[in-house]
Amino acid sequence: MSLDQLKRLIKAVLPDLDMVIGWEQGHDCLTASPVFIKTEEDIEKLQIGPLAVHNLATFLPGLKGKKVGVVVKGCDSRAAVQLLQEKLIDQADVTIFGFGCNGIISHAKLRKQFNGMGRASSMTQNGDTITIEHDGETTTLPFNDVCADKCLTCEHPNAVIHDHFAGERVERKPVTTENPALAEFEKLPLNERLDFWQEQMSRCIRCHACRNACPMCVCRDHCLATSREPNWIGQDTSPRENLMFQMTHTLHLAGRCVECGECERACPMDIPVFLLRKKMADEVKSLFDYDAGIVLDAKPPLMTFETNERNIKE
Amino acid sequence: MCKSNLLMPESATIQEVVQETANIKTFRITLDDEQKMKDFSFMPGQVGQLTAFGTGESTFVINSSPTRMDYLQFSVMQVGEVTQRLHQLRPGDTVGVRAPLGNSFDVESMKGKDIVFIGGGIGMAPLRTLLVYMLDNREEYGDITLLYGARSPADLSYKTDLDEWKQRDDINIHLTVDVETPDWDGTVGLIPNVLKDINPASKNGVAVTCGPPIMIKFTLMALQELGFEDDQIVTTLEKRMKCGVGLCGRCNIGSKYVCIDGPVFTYAQLKELPAEL
Amino acid sequence: MGRKYIAENDVIAWLDTLADDNLVIAPVAETGTVIYRPYLPGTEVELTNRPVSSPKEAVFPQTELLFSYKQDKDPEHPDRTKVDMKEATPDRSTVFFGPRPCGTRGISMFDKVYNCGKMQDAYYVTRRENTAFVTIACSRPDATCFCHSVGSGPADTEGSDVLLTPVNGGFVAEAVTDKGKDLLASPLFADAGKLEQEANAVVEKAREMLGDPHDFSEAESSLYNLFDDMDFWEEQAAKCINCGACTYLCPTCHCFNITDQNVGLSGRRIRTWDNCMSFEFTLEGSGHNPRPTKAHRLKNRLGHKFAYYPENNEGLVACCGCGRCIERCPSGVDIRAIVLAAKERSNVQK
Repeated sequence: MSLDQLKRLIKAVLPDLDMVIGWEQGHDCLTASPVFIKTEEDIEKLQIGPLAVHNLATFLPGLKGKKVGVVVKGCDSRAAVQLLQEKLIDQADVTIFGFGCNGIISHAKLRKQFNGMGRASSMTQNGDTITIEHDGETTTLPFNDVCADKCLTCEHPNAVIHDHFAGERVERKPVTTENPALAEFEKLPLNERLDFWQEQMSRCIRCHACRNACPMCVCRDHCLATSREPNWIGQDTSPRENLMFQMTHTLHLAGRCVECGECERACPMDIPVFLLRKKMADEVKSLFDYDAGIVLDAKPPLMTFETNERNIKE
Repeated sequence: MCKSNLLMPESATIQEVVQETANIKTFRITLDDEQKMKDFSFMPGQVGQLTAFGTGESTFVINSSPTRMDYLQFSVMQVGEVTQRLHQLRPGDTVGVRAPLGNSFDVESMKGKDIVFIGGGIGMAPLRTLLVYMLDNREEYGDITLLYGARSPADLSYKTDLDEWKQRDDINIHLTVDVETPDWDGTVGLIPNVLKDINPASKNGVAVTCGPPIMIKFTLMALQELGFEDDQIVTTLEKRMKCGVGLCGRCNIGSKYVCIDGPVFTYAQLKELPAEL
Repeated sequence: MGRKYIAENDVIAWLDTLADDNLVIAPVAETGTVIYRPYLPGTEVELTNRPVSSPKEAVFPQTELLFSYKQDKDPEHPDRTKVDMKEATPDRSTVFFGPRPCGTRGISMFDKVYNCGKMQDAYYVTRRENTAFVTIACSRPDATCFCHSVGSGPADTEGSDVLLTPVNGGFVAEAVTDKGKDLLASPLFADAGKLEQEANAVVEKAREMLGDPHDFSEAESSLYNLFDDMDFWEEQAAKCINCGACTYLCPTCHCFNITDQNVGLSGRRIRTWDNCMSFEFTLEGSGHNPRPTKAHRLKNRLGHKFAYYPENNEGLVACCGCGRCIERCPSGVDIRAIVLAAKERSNVQK
């Protein structure tokens, strides 16, 4: 079983590392939480599965200088590749434990489904359905209805980079080629799109969870959103300023976004910010035929140039 | 609004600007509302928030003495956005003032005592206000000694004041620099070491000190070696303050707010707080 | 006044009449999240799910204009400027409808900081006087709820003017303050009569669903004991990503920033929510930062809620037990677990 093998792999290497980052049981049956494994007892807390939603690679840049192991699913491993490409982490100091992922849950979708998540008493996954006991009632749903959108279009369920691989490689094909939420959004005529974002941004509380959850964010503590000199973005939380931040962050990710969707998952106000990043990533794909975080020694398109760009007519 | 608005500045005009050192300027300002200027009262140690309109607010100790109310004086070291903007202002320009804020030196309990002032760099600013206050009430205090140090002679502020005080015979002035220059014929040495050479008596003494954290640390050690007890040592804390009135939650050390319970603290009080300076 | 009753179908009519003279704010469901929006006749009000935002925005808006200013050249002396300042005065009479007791309780904690004898925030006090809170008692706690562990409960009336308890077909209404009494004067309210018992039963059931409270006694002393134990705080803060979700959703968090937003010669001074979890919160001009790492900042957040505020306010914990910070934290940082871990660690050290 993948989990047992994963635990054994970690146990074998743990003495040489300062810590291994994985997932453990969260505060209820529907959540997991990152765990920083330092002792053999800690290894027993490890969990993988549909609740292991966090992209643990996001903790790596902050731990530079330490010998860190990290457990990654497919999408997380792309972040690891991108971080290595940009030398934000040192390959010598990072040990990557990969496995094959069968998809993760979207808590936002569960919230919509159950009108608030707080009283679930059990969750079990049986193949392609998920059964949740909630408020005394049992509901079984197709996994594809409650999984994250990114899982429906996932082309890399297995970690694309790893020092160790636990379990069998997963043979999972994308359910659809187009991100459903983005496809839905693009049906809107142009003039309605700005209205859409004005409304979404009026909910934004500028907590920057989207920014801090993003593994590719380099500015971190010195973000332009809080810079006074120069003063790019006002502190007032108007939709205009909020959208300015989103646009800037999205552009900072051009050619770098690994489409892990953590930005949207982290948002406490359920704003679909991933739409912006996904669109940006799709644009990069169509212009440069490039997916971030797949090939370790690839050059991100915005960090190099071709003398004759194939898809840009000058 | 009918309530007094603690966050609303008073408009004030810069009367005079003195270039103390390469990066320190002293501003002498008067409130535009004449009655409010007349009624303005404060005690040494209290601070004010100066607004450079268009840029923001920052905290500075009221550097003049309440015994001389021709103007309110603030010394500003240029370190960031607001101070940079303030340094661009000239006599006649308008600033905003929210003052007085915070607590003050306990001048009552210092009466009759021998006062030792130890100031490093811009730390001299809060000491100046208390020193002038005491000089204007001279008979109420015992010996007064000033040890003021800076990195180099060019970094010593209040040169006019120092020249004046050197002429007096009721105050002992000791100046020191870390790095001497050819025109300097005074002491060269770090403040804590010079302090030990001066060897002020601790028995009836109160030490008032302010300066960069590293200087404070070693000065405290020196004072303890000289026999000063924790409640005989007074300092004033610089902390990032925003509202200055105990609301915005920024300047707390444990359960105490530097803007309300401070910025003046005795070392005895500081020892009771969590170590988070 | 004994308790009253209003049928669920009449609640909208009641809000409509209130909206004639007041700004009414009510919960609205958007994209699966419930937030507060201005109510207009026709707005679909969400009565079942708890809003993710807390009611503090009623008296402590996320962006608040303090004053606007205009710099003018002095015609007598062209090289000088003078400044005109115009104070902002919030004066809209507001009815804030739909928070739960765990949210409104936070308002009474704000009162102790923003409207205490020593310091009064003029903007807050004005808004507070002009706002009535109509709170809905809790009938279904979440797994992350722990109001009963911090001295509160499903029918806590702290901070509220009216408490509505959901019963079959409607709400039993209790006037907590005189302001609340005036609100219940509407003919849409009848005497509650026997429904009072049903209301009590609803609250009892909610209390049972909460289970046993956590024992947070000695949290204050434990947190003080562990102030220098940075190993403990590094461990607790390891999975924190330093965003502000917990702070901004928290009904009691009240830290703010003051900035000048300038356009040419005029501008506005605004205050905006700020969060102590960010690196820049205590960053000083010299470059020194008393709380340089997330471990320091998490320690301060816990310290403030469970030690410093209680020390200054006769033991009152600055936490409502609403659990929003746990539910919406991207990493699942659990404040209950941290307090209990602090107690355990502090005991071990003894």
